[in-house]
Amino acid sequence: MVQVGAVAVAVININLKKNLQSSKAGRKSNNMCMKQDAKPRAIGLQALTAAALVLPGLMLSAPCNAEDDEMDFQYSHYQEGKRNLYGTTADNRNPIEVDSTHGRAKVSLTDRVKFAFNYTQDTWSGATPVTTAPLEFGGNHPIKIGASPLIDDRQLHIDQNGSPVKNIGIDEFSPVYIKNTQLVHTLSVASPETRKQGDFKLTHEWDEAAIDVGGGISVENDYESRFGNLGGRIDFNQKLTSLNLGLSYTNSDTNALFDHDISGYFNGGAYAAKGQLEKGRLKANRQDWGGNLGLTQILTEKSLIQGTVGFTHATGYMANPYKIVEVGFIAPNQLLDNGRDPLLPDNILVADMMAFLEKRPDLRNQWNLGSHYVQYLGMLDAALHFDYHFSTDDWGINSHTFEGDWVQPLGCGWTVTPRIRYYSQDAARFYTPYLLVNKAKGTTTSAKATDYLSLPDSYSSDQRLSAFGTLSGGVSISKKFVKGITLETGFEYYTHAGSLKIGGGGEGDYANYNFFVASAALKVNLSALGHGGGSGEHSHHDHKHGAPIPAGVMFGHMMEKTGDVMVGYRYMYDTQAGSMLHGSNNVADQTIVGQGCGNTAISSCFLTTNGMNMHMHMLDLMYAPTDWLNLMLMPQFIDMNMSMRRLDGAPSTANGSPAHHPDDTQFMKDMMIGGHVNTGMASGGFGDTGMYALFKLWGTPDHHVNLSLGATAPTGDVGIKMRPMMKVYGNNYMDYGMQLGSGTWDFKPSMTYTGKYDDWSWGAQVNGTKRLENKNDSGYALGDVFQSTAWGSYNLLNWLSTSVRGVYTAQGGIKGQFIGTNNGSLNNMGPMDYTKNYGGKYWDVGFGVNAFVPSGDLAGNSLSFEWLQPVATEVNGYQLARDGALSATWGYAF
Amino acid sequence: MNISTSALANSYKPLLLLLMVFSACVTGCAQVAPWQRGNLAKPQMALDPYPMLNEMRGHNYGSREAGAGSGSSGGGGCGCY
Repeated sequence: MVQVGAVAVAVININLKKNLQSSKAGRKSNNMCMKQDAKPRAIGLQALTAAALVLPGLMLSAPCNAEDDEMDFQYSHYQEGKRNLYGTTADNRNPIEVDSTHGRAKVSLTDRVKFAFNYTQDTWSGATPVTTAPLEFGGNHPIKIGASPLIDDRQLHIDQNGSPVKNIGIDEFSPVYIKNTQLVHTLSVASPETRKQGDFKLTHEWDEAAIDVGGGISVENDYESRFGNLGGRIDFNQKLTSLNLGLSYTNSDTNALFDHDISGYFNGGAYAAKGQLEKGRLKANRQDWGGNLGLTQILTEKSLIQGTVGFTHATGYMANPYKIVEVGFIAPNQLLDNGRDPLLPDNILVADMMAFLEKRPDLRNQWNLGSHYVQYLGMLDAALHFDYHFSTDDWGINSHTFEGDWVQPLGCGWTVTPRIRYYSQDAARFYTPYLLVNKAKGTTTSAKATDYLSLPDSYSSDQRLSAFGTLSGGVSISKKFVKGITLETGFEYYTHAGSLKIGGGGEGDYANYNFFVASAALKVNLSALGHGGGSGEHSHHDHKHGAPIPAGVMFGHMMEKTGDVMVGYRYMYDTQAGSMLHGSNNVADQTIVGQGCGNTAISSCFLTTNGMNMHMHMLDLMYAPTDWLNLMLMPQFIDMNMSMRRLDGAPSTANGSPAHHPDDTQFMKDMMIGGHVNTGMASGGFGDTGMYALFKLWGTPDHHVNLSLGATAPTGDVGIKMRPMMKVYGNNYMDYGMQLGSGTWDFKPSMTYTGKYDDWSWGAQVNGTKRLENKNDSGYALGDVFQSTAWGSYNLLNWLSTSVRGVYTAQGGIKGQFIGTNNGSLNNMGPMDYTKNYGGKYWDVGFGVNAFVPSGDLAGNSLSFEWLQPVATEVNGYQLARDGALSATWGYAF
Repeated sequence: MNISTSALANSYKPLLLLLMVFSACVTGCAQVAPWQRGNLAKPQMALDPYPMLNEMRGHNYGSREAGAGSGSSGGGGCGCY
């Protein structure tokens, strides 16, 4: 035993020193983890090396993955269910949904230094509660054009005890009031918005310790947050125990602009007094300091436990700028009021309901205690994870979280993990569905500005601060393939209810809601790739690479060995800005106003696109079932944003035309310009999914001709709408260019020739897109596309080449149009809303660099960039000029 | 301010308890030799077997609940919806 122990210790040391850079030992242990389900290889040394990986320090993240270089991609969709609005309308409002993508890269810079980078992007849209009020207040009644939102300056009838009452009398002349305390949310609809976050972590490892430093930034339209953190770990007690320490600092700015539909219909006096609310824009800052301490202890051969304690100290603006609290002002001496409704019984009072921006304390100290226990179940080779967290803060919120996960490997690389989670919290002490104050409402501007002084210091109706419980359950399924590829899917259903709070007594049923989250992830273990997939005898085979293909060209390269797999990531950025074009020429605003939109007086152009950016992230998954056929799957994720400007000479109420009348379409459009110009538009989510077959038609060692036949499935949303502006519900689609896909099945053939001689290579491709349907679910079909391109490339070094390329593209106009829209439609505001202004002919020149790693640990990786510079453009109708496009691709063939 | 001070003072108690439990464990728990840690090395025994999935879940919970999450690395955005 002593001897074995000595060997084990020796292996541990070797492992810790060398494993960190995907060394032989590391791969062996990794392979063992990967293959344990397939073939139990009882190789003593591997078992011992695997044992080394269990050291608590390494276990702070997944032991089999933590030490390996990885590229991971994840997509998830969050979908909330509809709320119960108790018979009030607003059924045309879809609940909140969120599409998220997450990309992560972890690479070893040296034996001891590792770098991890994460990019996350969320796009959300839909209806969410903006406030709460008694049902009798009627906050969700239909809203007509030009009417103000039903959250402000309306009356509620209450009894002497302050309870809302309902008139059940047979008519208004013989009222009979009964108590009705039912509450209901008022929903508000958000246009799609996108958040982007980038963060990094740099770690230095020693044998029994590590330190890390990290930071990042999260940016969205109205909120920006920057953060940094420091962490450390020490292992002791023969590595049975690990101590972790972390410190973090976050600085966040809120910059919320309230558009016409909400600005003016709430009271923000408390923020205006502090100078945080000016001209309909709320600006405020918050800072969070956090610290946490964790201890991990191996208890037995089959169990371990982790305990954490964390503290967060937050100061500044911690409210949600889009949450309103309804306040009922009960004027004293109402019975003596001459204006009082004479039919109201004496025991019924009137509360004037006013809407206030919520207000939270500007200080929060929060403690968090957590424990995590993991037990191995030998009979089933499974692991049971149990978590309990408790948190408490000086807002009065105590919360308990219980979570259980059963991780069950099933063999052949499959793992199934059912899970259940229960959460319960108390309400914040300043949480209230609505407020009543015994004071008459302010009637003058100055009195309204100080009405907030009659309210408590803090008040919020945000459901997140109420008392409730949640129960959620789901399952994760992962499948590990050979060559270090893992696919992972997850599903979870979550239900929020006041009655689920520990001990009951939570918020009423009106606040209940559910959501589900579905996700899929692809994980590529770079260290495990190309190294034999678990034999323990990895081979550094050199990778061959065909002629370099510019980053902007797809389907140019085929794998020629049966069974080969390629995983790639492709990023495309396309930007438009500058002048408006008509054909190939710049065009004056006045011309666009008169001719760019419809032909009638009510269909002038009011605004136009000022800038447009599109980011597209695509995954390339390629497999060669034979040496002449490659199959490709390309899911993609898109986000776009567009800024707009008012056209010079657009009809304006300021000039007396159009007339100031709420029923006048021209007037409404004029009023809506502000909403468009101030906030712009954004959309994002899953795009169309491409499926292709690549055929090798002809080939010699230096020349290849490939044919690609494929189609894109209409998985991208083509029904994206803006939030209702000026209370206009209905067909308020974002313009055609902001939709996430074509909405039709599209046939996409291409043919590519590539050749090379010495350090020179060249190629040419023709490709096309043929829409297979006349219209999509939204009533239109994009134009067909034809493209031809040719390029030349020169190898500067054996791993680096440059390329120059010419591209010609022709795209047809749009057929049909959005269902229910016409020239005079309220949301047809500018040239981008008219189908005649789509399509054209484009000439571009591309400049690119390609890097390829031919041998060594990173053999098989390739990285390419190409900038496409427009040289000539001939657009149909009136369109914004193009600035250029960037393509970047990373690929790994193995 | 009084409330926050007393809340903080009360919160030290669980922290002390946690430290005591672990201190006892460090000295009292069974010694597990490195070669006995094979089962602990399996992927299902990792403290976080699904890091990306759990990060996404944590973000969803964090934007829907007021209790503190387990991490304090910052970021995550406003979640103002």
